[in-house]
Amino acid sequence: MEVAVIQENNKASVKISGRLDTTTTPQFQEAIKPLIDGETTEIEIDCSGMDYTSSLGLRSFLLLQKSMSSKGGSMVLTGMQAKVREVFDITGFSSIIKIV
Amino acid sequence: MLIRFEPISEKCAEIIEQLMSAPEMPQDDGLLFKIRLCVEEAVENIVSYAYLRGDGWLEAQTDVLGDSLVITLRDAGTPFNPLDTPDPDITLSAEERQPGGLGIFLCKKMMDTLNYEYKDGCNIFCMSIKTKTN
Repeated sequence: MEVAVIQENNKASVKISGRLDTTTTPQFQEAIKPLIDGETTEIEIDCSGMDYTSSLGLRSFLLLQKSMSSKGGSMVLTGMQAKVREVFDITGFSSIIKIV
Repeated sequence: MLIRFEPISEKCAEIIEQLMSAPEMPQDDGLLFKIRLCVEEAVENIVSYAYLRGDGWLEAQTDVLGDSLVITLRDAGTPFNPLDTPDPDITLSAEERQPGGLGIFLCKKMMDTLNYEYKDGCNIFCMSIKTKTN
C-alpha cells in the first residue's frame, strides 16, 4: 500500500494505491490523521490504484467522512475499481460517502 | 490442506498469505478477491479476540466439496459465535454509523454459507463459496 497526501490550506488531495488491509491500514490511518485533527475540510481521494480494502480500511474512510461532516466539509473518492466499489456498496458506505 | 499456526499473535498477515496460497484456491480473480476479504475478516477476528489471555493456536483447513471451496477455521479460544453479531444498520447516516461489525457482515454477504459450532472446547467457523459454475 502506498499513500500520498498533499495539503494546501483547508484542502487535501490523497492518492492511495495497493491493498488496504489489516497490515497496511495503520499506515494509512497515520497518513490521514493530520487531516482529521487539522483544519482540512475538503478531501479528494484518488482510489484508482487501490485494489483491495478490508473492513479496517472501510473504517478509516468512515472516520474521515465523520470528521469532514463534523467540520462542515466534504470528501469525495474518485476512480474506484469495481471490485472495491462492491465492498462499499454491500456495506452501505456508497450511501454515506460520495464516490464519483 | 490443513495448516496449524501457533502462536498466532501478530501473525495475521502470515496466516492469510499461507491460507490464500492453498492449492484448493480457485484461479478466478473476482472469487479470490472475495475469498481473501472473508479470510482476512475471519482470521483477524480470531487473532485479535480469541485468546484474550495469552496466545493460542489456529487451524485452517481448505477443502473442495462438490462445486464449492470450504474454509474451516478452528481455535480453542473463548467461545464466540460470530453469527450472533448483529448486522450493522446500513441505512444510517455517516454521523450515526459506528465503525464496527462490518467484517462478519461482509462474510455473510460474500460467502454462500457460514456455519459456526462450539465442539470439544473449540470454536469451529466454516465458510463456503461456490467456485465452479455448471
